Amino acid sequence: MQQVIDFIIRKKDVVIYIVLLLFSLTMIINSNYFHKSKTLIIFNNITNYTFEKFTFINEYFELKKLNSDLINENLFLKSEIEKTVEYQNIDSLKTTKFKYKNARIISNSLSSFKNQIIINKGSNEGLKKEMGVINANGVVGIIKRTSKNYSTIMSLLNTDIKINAKAKRTNHFGTLEWNGDDINFLSLNDIPETANIKVGDSIVTGGMSLIFPEGINIGIVSKVNSYNLEKTKLNQATKTNQNIKLKSRENYLNIEVKLHSDMGKINNVYIIESMFIEEFNRIKENG
Amino acid sequence: MFILLKVCLLKSLIELRKMANLYFLIFKRFIFFALIQGFIFNNFNFLGSFNPYIALVFLLTFPIKTSKITFMIISFCFGFSLDLFSNSIGINTAACLTLAFSRSYVLNFVFGSFYDPYGTKVLKNYISESTYYQQFLYLISLILIHHSVLFLLESFSLKFLSLVIYKTLITSFLSILFCATTIYIMIKNEK
Repeated sequence: MQQVIDFIIRKKDVVIYIVLLLFSLTMIINSNYFHKSKTLIIFNNITNYTFEKFTFINEYFELKKLNSDLINENLFLKSEIEKTVEYQNIDSLKTTKFKYKNARIISNSLSSFKNQIIINKGSNEGLKKEMGVINANGVVGIIKRTSKNYSTIMSLLNTDIKINAKAKRTNHFGTLEWNGDDINFLSLNDIPETANIKVGDSIVTGGMSLIFPEGINIGIVSKVNSYNLEKTKLNQATKTNQNIKLKSRENYLNIEVKLHSDMGKINNVYIIESMFIEEFNRIKENG
Repeated sequence: MFILLKVCLLKSLIELRKMANLYFLIFKRFIFFALIQGFIFNNFNFLGSFNPYIALVFLLTFPIKTSKITFMIISFCFGFSLDLFSNSIGINTAACLTLAFSRSYVLNFVFGSFYDPYGTKVLKNYISESTYYQQFLYLISLILIHHSVLFLLESFSLKFLSLVIYKTLITSFLSILFCATTIYIMIKNEK
């Protein structure tokens, strides 16, 4: 210990130089956007690589579960093929709107407000920003950032996400968001109160944004909150007539949606590449 | 006994006065060079985008008497104030700090046995009692150190290494021209 202290005192110039240099480097990285993103990319690549190695080991313990999942999925897909065989002649290959690619998840988080999933394919495989990601049970998220071999997915359990969804029975469109508290429930907003939505209705993707094809499963309605209903109930209970601030917005329903897929137990995902999204965006920009 | 004490006190007071004068000089130069670099020489734009770093005169002519640690801390602050003008927080800071750190080695290397780290000689002695070759070597080595650190951190990758070297060479040529002229004028005025 004495020797260490002696060494520091003897080389105090160098020690102070290194401390100040580290300080200025952190200033560079923190305040300049370019430098920040560059270091982020380097560190992301390192952590992703180690994540992949760890999941490689962990996968052996889950092979049984993985196999049964794949069999179920195959059965589901086969039944889907059966349905579409009769329309084969009408729907030719040229008019396919979406292409599918598969990928494996190497890291998944549930605990934060902005949960992210990392998959093992990136821009080398043709993945781009804002492609949709699904698995056999339903929607998983949207690609947020891609590096060469990996990409980060904004999971459904991310407070930033907004997905266009509709009720399958009544065809009312709304926006799907996450409140940040329960990982099994999302909330569907912007559906007018006149829509006759009941508990048990299934919610599917709306197909308005071309990120997801229309009609992919998301979940089922577990609770419907209506502003006027709540207000009248409350007023009856207290026998007053006040405007009380409630959770849902006026004239809109606040619908709680229970997810089909358990977000913690996803292994394989499919990435949806939309063939017409550039054309769609161009038209949208030009008005 | 009493007289001895008085003499001692007077001596220390004179020392203190000298120190205060020295730091006041440093402070004056600090403000002057930071402002002149920020407002005039950052918009020099020779051949498109090359700016001479005249502010390095402050670090090149920094009094040798002060300890290395003080020198490094002051040059850290100086680099930071340069960064505030050029809107690139931290880059000039690291470069100026590296210059301050390596100055004693460069002095030792260039002036050899003539260099004394305890600072009984002032910089004027160094200049009057050395050859032009030594002066040139002193300036060019420190300026090259500063500029290479500056541009490497600015590009932040080795992809543009040739561009960094090109930029370093051109800018250090400009800087040495301006710095030598400024130091020459400063010495003339001191006499």
